[in-house]
Amino acid sequence: MQLTIITDLNKCVGCKSCQVSCKEHNASGAFGSVPDHAPYNDPDGMWWNRIVTMESGEFPNTSVLYLPKACMHCYDAPCVPVCPTGASYKRVDNGVVLVDYDACIGCQLCIWACPYGVREFDEHEGVVKKCTMCVDRLEDESLPLRERQPACVQSCPTHARVFGDLDDQQSEVSQLVAQRQGFALLPELGARPAVHYLPRRPSPVVLAEEEVLKVMEERY
Amino acid sequence: MRPTGPLLLITVLQGLSGGMAVALTTALIFLRPSAELAHAVRMEPLIIVVALAGGVASFFHMHRIQAARFVLRRLKTSWLSREALTTGLYIGGLTGLAAGIDLGNWHGALLLGTAAGVAGLGLVAMFVTAMLYSTITAMRSWHSPLTVIAMMGVGVFSGWLVMAAIFAVVGTNPAPLREAAAVAVVLGLLLMAVKAQQWHFFAGARTSVMASTGTGLPLGPHRLQDSGTSRIPYKTQTQIWPDLRPGPKRLLYGLMFLLLTAVPVAAMGAISAGASPAGWFVGGAVSAVVGAFLERWLFFADATHSSRVWFTDHVKRASRVATHRGSPALLERYRRLSK
Repeated sequence: MQLTIITDLNKCVGCKSCQVSCKEHNASGAFGSVPDHAPYNDPDGMWWNRIVTMESGEFPNTSVLYLPKACMHCYDAPCVPVCPTGASYKRVDNGVVLVDYDACIGCQLCIWACPYGVREFDEHEGVVKKCTMCVDRLEDESLPLRERQPACVQSCPTHARVFGDLDDQQSEVSQLVAQRQGFALLPELGARPAVHYLPRRPSPVVLAEEEVLKVMEERY
Repeated sequence: MRPTGPLLLITVLQGLSGGMAVALTTALIFLRPSAELAHAVRMEPLIIVVALAGGVASFFHMHRIQAARFVLRRLKTSWLSREALTTGLYIGGLTGLAAGIDLGNWHGALLLGTAAGVAGLGLVAMFVTAMLYSTITAMRSWHSPLTVIAMMGVGVFSGWLVMAAIFAVVGTNPAPLREAAAVAVVLGLLLMAVKAQQWHFFAGARTSVMASTGTGLPLGPHRLQDSGTSRIPYKTQTQIWPDLRPGPKRLLYGLMFLLLTAVPVAAMGAISAGASPAGWFVGGAVSAVVGAFLERWLFFADATHSSRVWFTDHVKRASRVATHRGSPALLERYRRLSK
């Protein structure tokens, strides 16, 4: 099994709801590990999920693209073998990459090894932290089934994010990746990320009625 | 990435002590037993001090020292685990050698064999440390054999000069010192060539990672507008570091080449030409050690990580081949066509 999150870049509107709900759940929830020491003085702090805003295309055909970026839970996660203490590990049963804070020495080698810049160093606790895919929610049997999914997926107002098992050919995420040419970031670095994105469709060409009539008159 | 003090101290001092051990072994092989040699061999504990200083610095690099007991768990895959093991064995070997010299009064083949073994361990430790950086695929500037060659080269060259300076100060016969200086000239010139090649590789790595092409996103080019929060997370993500401005960067690289290679090579050249060795060796060694620290600072500060594409946009550069030359023939052809 390889749990993953698929993001449809057509539906993402960059509201940062997933970014905020991730921080809210992981800073104030039962797991409580995203530090928030000076929220009013230091708005940067630690974020496990960052929404990158990009302008794409060439003028005048430009558009804004929002790219939610958290841990990719890679099949061949480069952060795992470099860890000297075994604190970084990938679970066989669900494919989630996690950090054992008790074994982490805070050397930050995994931060350098991660191609995506999604691991963050907590200087107060001296350990590296990252997206856990809300594993505490996934395995909390007291929650109703529909809530056993990552906070970012549940909070997305446009349902741009879909959660599921990428190794299951019949799952919604596998179908989406197969049918919509889902792609992963920086594939050339060989980490084989589990997290995929669905590409944006090209913007439709908008023609005014007069232009269509003019062409019709000229040709016919 | 962020260059931190402990990282600079670990890597530079480990290389320096390894180079000193290599130089000491070479001296044992080629210098005839003499009072000066025996006196110089007594300086061996200095190599331990240098290696230990690097080892102690590594503890400051760890932010949760209570978990250090797990550091050898991943010997099979982690170069950092292997670094901890090999550096520990190297320092243990150095201590054993010092004990043999001071307490056991070792000499002859036993001393030479042990010293050669310890120098070999030093080279292995340097190699493992260099491989730690070289195997990080995401750090585009380091992912090259040049990292290993340059890191070991800097260690051997600086250690060689420091040990030769110690030999010169204690009053060793000038003839073998001149030969050591000649070897240092060759090493210095080779190191200069390797560092120049590495600088070129760093520049290539920087231009290969751009938001316009590097993200893997279709329908490009893309330009970064916001990295997710109001500022780039330099505090929590140490793999990225503000770009060095071109002017100061060129200055620092120039200074590094001057201190690490040019000044020591000139000093060694003066010794080979007949100048008194002690002063020139000390000057060359000091320059090389300062240059080694500057080299390592640039190695970290100027490194390009693949995640840079989501944190900093690339600088828009003008074409390097465009000229102001007009195209009168084409214009004339266009005029004729439009008539």
